[in-house]
Amino acid sequence: MDDIIKTKFAILFSSIVLGIFISVQFKHNIPAIPLATLRSIQETRKEIDAIIDERNDLEELIVEKERKIEEFENIIHEDRDIIDILGDDLEKNKLISGLKDVQGSGIVVTLYDNMAEGALGEEYDLDVVHDVDILRIINDLRGAGAEAISINDERILSITEIKCGGPIIRANGKSLGGAPFYIRAIGDQKLLSAAINAPNTYSYALKTIDQINVETTIEDDIEIPAYRGRFNFRYAKPLKEGD
Amino acid sequence: MFFALIGILIGMAIGFLLPYTYSAAYSLYISVAILACLDSVFGGIRANLENKFDVSIFLSGFFGNAIIAAFLAYVGDRLGVPLYYAAIFTFGGRLFENFAGIRRIILFRRKLKKDN
Repeated sequence: MDDIIKTKFAILFSSIVLGIFISVQFKHNIPAIPLATLRSIQETRKEIDAIIDERNDLEELIVEKERKIEEFENIIHEDRDIIDILGDDLEKNKLISGLKDVQGSGIVVTLYDNMAEGALGEEYDLDVVHDVDILRIINDLRGAGAEAISINDERILSITEIKCGGPIIRANGKSLGGAPFYIRAIGDQKLLSAAINAPNTYSYALKTIDQINVETTIEDDIEIPAYRGRFNFRYAKPLKEGD
Repeated sequence: MFFALIGILIGMAIGFLLPYTYSAAYSLYISVAILACLDSVFGGIRANLENKFDVSIFLSGFFGNAIIAAFLAYVGDRLGVPLYYAAIFTFGGRLFENFAGIRRIILFRRKLKKDN
């Protein structure tokens, strides 16, 4: 008799526990979260972050546009001339597109060939500075936030090619001459020199493995000339707004 | 059987009235655990009808299976392998087996009564 009561009590008790879990589960509205795994939660969280970022960017854009409207309103009130404002815009765009000489603090990277006799075997090719080396270094500098870059006083823009020309290197269709190459970059000096000198960077490998001379000097007043070539946009046309 | 139904109803009433819930992130684990519990209750009913019921086996199975099922689902999530399928197939299959056993026992008893 005692056993039967125990049995019934056990089943009753466990059923109650089961019922509680089932009802709590019902309260969650499972259809809304089919298989909410930890990974999907993380993905959703990232999506949310991206959307928040986008929203912040849009807000900044609104502020910028409002300032622009204010400027135009000022023109109406004849506080400022429209030519002044357009002139300011022009200067700004010239600066952005690299059509202005700029100056500021940054670093100078000097690259020259390995001068030691018979250095690193007989492979002469390994002892000289190549176009690829310069490309990689410039990429590192851009990654470190360089705002303006020149090589041997030739401005390097987004459209600039860097090509091997036998004993010389070409950029913007002009010769940069042979080594030494002076790469000037304006930006945060610490970040820029870290991009060149930190262990496991490309130029660190150049220096230690290929024995190519890479020297960096930090300078407070670097001048970088404007781009003197031409922009030939034959194929790229601006997309009309509203298209 | 009767007690199990009553118990589930009482439990659901309590659950709906209680203000406590767990985080929705765990709902997958809990649902696998519920499946394990459901299987244990069905197994208990069947054992009861077969007069083979043992309280300690029943209770240890009830909680042990639920915990292992939830744990498997969690570990699977961490490893990137959907291990909770193991729990779903095992307990889901056994649930139907148990139910088939219960059906047979009840129908068989009724037949016996009729024949007598």
